[in-house]
Amino acid sequence: MNNSKVVLELEQIVGDKYVSDEPEIQFLYHYDFITAEPEGKCDIAIMPESAEEVQEIVKIANKYKIPVVPWVSGINFGSIATPRKGGIVVDLRRMNRVLEVNEDDMYAVVEGGITWADLKGYLDKHHPNFRAGITYSPPGTGVIPSCLCYGMFDLGMIGGTGAEFINGLEVILPTGELIRTGSCSLSKYWFGRQPLPDISGLFIGWEGTTGIVTKAAIKLWPKLPYRTDFLPIASRMEDGAPMMIKLSKAGLGIVDLCMINMGWTQSLQCFDQKMVATDPVALGIPDFVAVITTQAYTEEQHKAQCEAIKSICIEHNIEPFTAEVQIRNFPKNMWGLIHHLFPSTGGQLPIHFWTCWDFSRGGGGEWIGCYVSIRNIVKYYNLAREVCLKYDKTPQFYSRIMFGGHYCVARINVNFNKNDPEDIKKTRQILKEIHDAVQQLDGVIMYKPPKWVVQYYKDKTLPATNKLIENVKKFLDPNNIMNPGQGIGED
Amino acid sequence: MERIDLKKEKTKKYLEDRGISHITAVPDQQKLDRYKNLEYYKDILYQCGKCGTCRTAYHEEGWPHVCPSGEFGKFEAYYLGGKNLLSWALTTGRLKWTENMAKIFYQCSVCMACMQQCQIPEIHHYAGEWLMAMREEAVQKGFGPMPEQQKYTDHVTKEYNPYMEKHKDRTNWITSNIKETPDAKLAYFVGCTTSYREQNVAIATAEILNSLGVEFRVLKDERCCGSPVYMTGQTDKAKEIAETNINTFKNEGIERIITSCAGCYRTLKEIYPKKFGFEHGIEVLHLPEFLLEKLNNDELTFNNKVNMKITYHDPCHIGRHMGIYEPPREVLTKIPGIELIEMARNRHNAWCCGSGGGVRSAFKDLSIFAANERIEEAKETTASAIVSCCPFCLNQFKTNIDNNEIQAFDLSELVRKAI
Repeated sequence: MNNSKVVLELEQIVGDKYVSDEPEIQFLYHYDFITAEPEGKCDIAIMPESAEEVQEIVKIANKYKIPVVPWVSGINFGSIATPRKGGIVVDLRRMNRVLEVNEDDMYAVVEGGITWADLKGYLDKHHPNFRAGITYSPPGTGVIPSCLCYGMFDLGMIGGTGAEFINGLEVILPTGELIRTGSCSLSKYWFGRQPLPDISGLFIGWEGTTGIVTKAAIKLWPKLPYRTDFLPIASRMEDGAPMMIKLSKAGLGIVDLCMINMGWTQSLQCFDQKMVATDPVALGIPDFVAVITTQAYTEEQHKAQCEAIKSICIEHNIEPFTAEVQIRNFPKNMWGLIHHLFPSTGGQLPIHFWTCWDFSRGGGGEWIGCYVSIRNIVKYYNLAREVCLKYDKTPQFYSRIMFGGHYCVARINVNFNKNDPEDIKKTRQILKEIHDAVQQLDGVIMYKPPKWVVQYYKDKTLPATNKLIENVKKFLDPNNIMNPGQGIGED
Repeated sequence: MERIDLKKEKTKKYLEDRGISHITAVPDQQKLDRYKNLEYYKDILYQCGKCGTCRTAYHEEGWPHVCPSGEFGKFEAYYLGGKNLLSWALTTGRLKWTENMAKIFYQCSVCMACMQQCQIPEIHHYAGEWLMAMREEAVQKGFGPMPEQQKYTDHVTKEYNPYMEKHKDRTNWITSNIKETPDAKLAYFVGCTTSYREQNVAIATAEILNSLGVEFRVLKDERCCGSPVYMTGQTDKAKEIAETNINTFKNEGIERIITSCAGCYRTLKEIYPKKFGFEHGIEVLHLPEFLLEKLNNDELTFNNKVNMKITYHDPCHIGRHMGIYEPPREVLTKIPGIELIEMARNRHNAWCCGSGGGVRSAFKDLSIFAANERIEEAKETTASAIVSCCPFCLNQFKTNIDNNEIQAFDLSELVRKAI
């Protein structure tokens, strides 16, 4: 590939300031700088400002049959924004505006490169009574990639995955055409994907291999005036999980139902690996911490909801302490960080909280994060925990019950020192073993999967389904230029 | 059961004791030395995952962007995350020094707003050290400073100022009504920007000192403090300048220095002893600190009303670099008639004016971009004036304000009016 010739053409589209093939710029796109997945290669990075510019870039990529990789922050635990076959990284960060907020239908139309910081900042300022779901990922990560890859938010219990927050999309296809999906394809309103044929699915879960999303409508939610965050603690995951499952079927204005183990809790407290008990359970330290968030419109309603939540906790022999009370039990020097979490303790609503990398102080993190049948939460944890302990790594578990209790997310994070080749090697082995172990359970499907997991699922999937995926991919991307090398389709 | 006050929550500002800024929140963070070379910090750099937290003030309403370099350059390389990882790449041999690498590190005012946001403790506390160490190494490898910075450094060597002015003209601002005491132990260190570009600040400061009956003098051979040379990675040259200045102070019997310049203040007080190892033992005060001391001791009273709605701009050199946020505000709010309205980004989250770190000379577009952003933010407060206590910030605002849409003053100018 003759970079300089392509660069000259790309400069005609966006100007020379926003195209680069210099090694320093290439370096920052060639790897995600967090996972233990292999590094990739970026030949050219470009930052368009509009859908039209994206179209022109894609046309040039087709002309030269060069890969194009859509990119916002390049941070995900599956390394799916790492350019696997070189080519042009299309960094969408200049397309970060909120274009419209419809308070009646409760959605925001945003550009493809918007980050959580951009969206939250805008809503706080201009629509303070509304909020978006928020991930615990850093504020600089992308909203749209998170939704397209089934990321989950603190409103997962009422809204489901990020994919379910999408009302409609504007996409530049791998062949350069601009299409829209959902109600916006035939009206000025972006209120939903219903009742048309749901072609948004051609872009959701495809790891950026079927097009570049330039606009999307994301569901918003009202901020209700009454909110309580409970933070009950129990000895073992086995003790707490049944309580959470019961709560998930009880309604009670619950917007978030999250359970974490002590390893993950300690990561939130920014402990260094060496300060943390590898196996808190062996030391008799409680290993189950839950977050139960309930909201209401009136005080009476809220009181009743809280009372019902408390009685379910007590029924399971677990004290229904609120976050405010529990935090007083933490050592004072941890309050600063913990306070961020809940409005009742001084945090913002909602917040971002990102400290997992501090935990290992090695800067590396990757997970085996899966959508799972609720009945398998505890089994998933125990299998993954065993593998971590075998390799002397602290198990860090996190689970969230989703969408009114219809399914859940379970994931185990592995932190490592990305400056230590041995630790990287060990981490790859651990991830592989955890994956193999949890696959013993049926109904465990990884989200944001790296290529080796995509291949694993391909081998398990019905051949006719695989064929259909391949055909769809081929139809949409005849030159196979859109984020190739991620294992989707024939790739 | 308390109702959440959404309006109150919306306007909630940075909370003390929240977040990593509260140093004890992380029990095991490493305590590192400051002012070391890149080799010393190399084992911290790779912890960064370029997560982007450094780009916005996540404690503040609206999560405003904080990094002029990144917002202007846009590529990750221009944000702290990119710079951390490029430094890592260099220290591990993944990349080599190039002109572009040097340019990336120089296209930054080293305002350090980025590191205030990072939650990784060592990066939060020390990132500024390797941003400077990279410049130092760029100079050692022959890739720094930038040509425009080299030009002003040459002039500092010859005429002791970076403004292409004659040394003999340095004290031209001193008018006959200013009373100096020839053998005073207190020196008013004026600095280059004030001496040649913002002489009103020098006059106001001298008149304030006169009105307080403070015996002081301006050194006849005052020279550049070395800040613009140091900030562009030219440590050896800056150290020579420091040595000469300290000899002058000692030979003149100076025991105390007041300066109205934020950059000179930081250089004399912090960089000379801590970076260069020159423990000069001279007390260095920034004018607002000195004035506040006088106000608190009832030695200074404001007799005149200054009816003005103002906003205060925190200069990076005294704010994030030295931790001085409140004294200037306290002085200003004690002036009768002054109404102080804060900009959305203030104190440790203040948006840099875009003049420091050699940016104004070498990267004019970035410098103007940063200044305009701050001026717009100041205008949004409905204040009629933006007030600072750094002549470089002041000059930057005056140069970039269009059509007198807002005025710009140094704190000393308002104090003089009030006395």
